[in-house]
Amino acid sequence: MTVQGIVLLVLFVAVLVVFGFIVRMLIRTLKLGKPEDRSGNIGQRINSVLVYVAAQARVLSQPAGLGHFLIFWGFIFITLGTIEHIVGMIVPGVSYTAVFGPVVAGVISWFQDILAFLVLLAIIVSLFRRFVLKPVRLKIDDPGARQEALFILTLISALVLLMFGIKGAGILMGKVDPAYAPVSSFVAGLLQGRGLDLHMFENVLAWTHHLIVFFFLLYVPYSKHIHILGAIPNIYLRNLGPAGTLSRMDFEDESAEKFGNSEIRDFTWKQLLDLYACTECGRCQAACPAYLTEKPLSPFNMIHRMRAHLMDERGKLLKGQDGEKGETGAEGVEGTPIIPETMTTDEIWACTTCGACMQECPPFIEHVQKIVDLRRYLVMTESNFPQEMQAVFRNMEVNYNPWSIGFSTRADWAEGMDVPIASEKKEFDVLFWTGCAGSFDARGQSVMKAVVELFGKADVDFAILGVEEMCCGETARRMGNEYLAQTLIDGNIDVLKKYSFKKIVTACPHCFNTFKVEYPQFGFEAEVMHHSEFLLDLLEEGRLKAGKIESTRGTYHDSCYLGRYNDILDQPRSILNQVSGVEITEMGRSGKRSFCCGAGGGRMWMEEDIGRRINEERVSETTKLGVDTIFAACPYCITMFEDGLKAGEIENVRVRDIAEVLLESID
Amino acid sequence: MKIIVLLKRVPDTEAKILINQDGNGIREDGVKFIINTYDEYGIEEGLRLKEKVGGDSKVTAVCAGPEESTEVIRTALAMGVDDAVHICDPALAKPSPFTIAEVLAKAISEEGFDIIFCGKQGIDDDMAQTQSILAEKLDIPQVNNATVFELADDLSKAVLNRRIEGGDEKVEASLPVIISCEKGLNDPRYASLPGIMKAKKKEIRVKNLADLGFNEAPSSGRSRVLKWLPMPKGGECKMVEAEETVDAVKELARLLREEAKVV
Ligand SMILES: Cc1cc2nc3c(=O)[nH]c(=O)nc-3n(C[C@H](O)[C@H](O)[C@H](O)COP(=O)(O)OP(=O)(O)OC[C@H]3O[C@@H](n4cnc5c(N)ncnc54)[C@H](O)[C@@H]3O)c2cc1C
Ligand code: SF4
Ligand code: SF4
Repeated sequence: MTVQGIVLLVLFVAVLVVFGFIVRMLIRTLKLGKPEDRSGNIGQRINSVLVYVAAQARVLSQPAGLGHFLIFWGFIFITLGTIEHIVGMIVPGVSYTAVFGPVVAGVISWFQDILAFLVLLAIIVSLFRRFVLKPVRLKIDDPGARQEALFILTLISALVLLMFGIKGAGILMGKVDPAYAPVSSFVAGLLQGRGLDLHMFENVLAWTHHLIVFFFLLYVPYSKHIHILGAIPNIYLRNLGPAGTLSRMDFEDESAEKFGNSEIRDFTWKQLLDLYACTECGRCQAACPAYLTEKPLSPFNMIHRMRAHLMDERGKLLKGQDGEKGETGAEGVEGTPIIPETMTTDEIWACTTCGACMQECPPFIEHVQKIVDLRRYLVMTESNFPQEMQAVFRNMEVNYNPWSIGFSTRADWAEGMDVPIASEKKEFDVLFWTGCAGSFDARGQSVMKAVVELFGKADVDFAILGVEEMCCGETARRMGNEYLAQTLIDGNIDVLKKYSFKKIVTACPHCFNTFKVEYPQFGFEAEVMHHSEFLLDLLEEGRLKAGKIESTRGTYHDSCYLGRYNDILDQPRSILNQVSGVEITEMGRSGKRSFCCGAGGGRMWMEEDIGRRINEERVSETTKLGVDTIFAACPYCITMFEDGLKAGEIENVRVRDIAEVLLESID
Repeated sequence: MKIIVLLKRVPDTEAKILINQDGNGIREDGVKFIINTYDEYGIEEGLRLKEKVGGDSKVTAVCAGPEESTEVIRTALAMGVDDAVHICDPALAKPSPFTIAEVLAKAISEEGFDIIFCGKQGIDDDMAQTQSILAEKLDIPQVNNATVFELADDLSKAVLNRRIEGGDEKVEASLPVIISCEKGLNDPRYASLPGIMKAKKKEIRVKNLADLGFNEAPSSGRSRVLKWLPMPKGGECKMVEAEETVDAVKELARLLREEAKVV
């Protein structure tokens, strides 16, 4: 072993030891969080890693993702080369050729060369995007974040260039086979005949290269490139269940002084791991209706700042833990509240819980639960929320609906129609869940009437709960009032258990999602169908036959809780396609990538006085298509669009529910 | 400082009000009950006063009402009221403000008081009598329809604005005083969950007439409710239709003159 080899070995080991300590600290930091179970489903989890890490499926869902794909795979091969080179310098004579034979080594070398070259190209494109094109998704307030991105791209470029230099010199010295190194051969050509001391040249480059690598290894955990460590475990541990479920809170402990999350330790370890996993790609932000309409919220910025907050806090919190030994030691240390310094209340309340951020996020970060956790603290512990929400909570408490309308009039919409009531019928096939909008909002009522008429035509054996029905709890839950939500949920379950039916059908995606994926948390499971699924079944069974309406050019808006959260994309479109006279033009943002109407997450009930209005934004997207009708399958979306059309003084566009169109075609 | 807040249990503003068969009350099925809206301003003001004065200040809610009143009392306790007196006696079914004020006066005197907050009127019976009768019985000043309330730093007197037609009147009153609250005085808080949890353990002292030293329900005063009548039905609506607007107007004028006889 040469002196140089010994120095490198000592350095290498030292770096690995320090790195090990850093990783241990990162893991201890995660343990500051609350417990959460993400075990099980190993097969599915490994599959996630193959699809989303190895194949980079989400990254590649946008063209710019190709750059990351190349850098990711390029770096795996470059790292293989780095390891080979370091080991070779420590123990002369050791190389892939020596260990695996020339073919395997050649293949590694070839991939290294090609990919590294592509990485360079990707970096140039990436710099161009970041500093010239400046797409929406890369905008961030923190100037440090941009500087860091530039710094890291520079380091990566330097590593790639150094590697080519090392390999080029290696070719000239006969250490590297030029047949498997097309780009390096070109570099070798450039170096040839310049009278360089090749050995010295290679050595200087190699030391520079390896020192940068060592620096990188120690710098990564403190930079946004911590995602190199965080993203893979985060994808492995991702939520495999429905995305539209919030965690269930337990109110057993009556002496609790605090509900919801106010500081970083209130989040679960997995929520903290999310913070390590963020790649700062900004895709969430570019899809966020709040951000795109100039609200202060950006999911990207939120994760970025929460990570910075975690890094600021962890020293103090970990020290607190050490001081008293054991898991609970840190509780004696005051955590800094996240609001208002890391996040403001305006940000917290701007979220529509549309889930677009989570849909886009390559490392599967779960933003909505974090926002709701912060809301829970504000609402339940501090009673700190936009003033207009108080009346909404009151209405839900007293009259079981967010409108200020007496609960005893809940079934009035059905007066004069043949709508059976569960308390009289007791046994039936379909429980038609009307929901608050369907019961109290004039526009919602007319959708419910259409559904009920269709049921009549298809001879569906159904009933409604009528005055026994209460708000499903969705809005309260997403507004952070878990206590109220659970009161409503428990009340509804008690009533539902009295009757015998086969399935619940509802025309509201919010009720639908809640019954389907949230009520099971509270011990109530039933088959739940959205009316688009159910009506399509009726059409397919021949119990209904779609007819014709006056020729209409429309577009279909996917409601977040129907399309994105529950994958119901084709059913409403199939219904519309069966109605002759209807022609559908799709919007740019549709299907799983639909753009929220602005009503979700309780936003329906809050003032929207910051930035532009989300509903108007979406309406202008539809009208650009030159359609005369916006088809929807959600009473909230319908209201938002009708308001948006009114605000824009657009008179020649109508908003219609799929059931209304189907009914008209049959009449 | 001992702060009393009065609270009355009333039907929810959105409840469908139907008169019962005997014509002496409302049908309670399908009716939700809440804290009288104006009383909430009183509760909030009482709590704010306690927070401001600090020390061993205490806010006690006093409610006369049927057994089911516990629910609204707990709501007040969840908002932060320290404890409550619930006056409950079958002999108090449908009491008049005169009776209720007599009973309240007794209960409040037993509790001791520096300031009493109440609503400017019950949103159900709309009498706006209780507070004034109570002030007489306790022989203390009363300020009605308060929209601003402040306590002098030496805690000796209250300075208030009271809403009058077209403006506010600024008044001063010595303590103890009873203040009836008007909308605008404050925004009542939403009970926090720890508040709700704590309220379950707070004390509600239930007292009947005997406990308060009455042998029977006190006199109902000199007026008496005879009967409750349903809302008179609105008149029939007649739509005037005509091809031309001019003809419609002519027809409308004729109807107003000949049928309605108002012009
Ligand atoms: C359906 C119904 C059933 C009732 N049953 C009973 C019963 O069984 N037993 C019973 O004791 N009372 C009962 N009450 C309450 C009782 O009728 C009233 O307290 C009394 O009639 C005075 O009402 P008011 O609206 O005229 O008050 P107002 O004179 O308009 O009230 C002004 C203010 O005085 C205070 N105040 C008035 N009443 C009370 C009260 N009861 N407790 C504390 N503060 C008060 C409030 O601050 C109120 O804002 C019942 C009321 C209703 C609507
Ligand atoms: S859920 Fe929707 S509104 Fe909320 S942060 Fe994500 S993208 Fe933005
Ligand atoms: S949260 Fe996800 S989508 Fe948003 S910037 Fe980070 S990695 Fe990208």
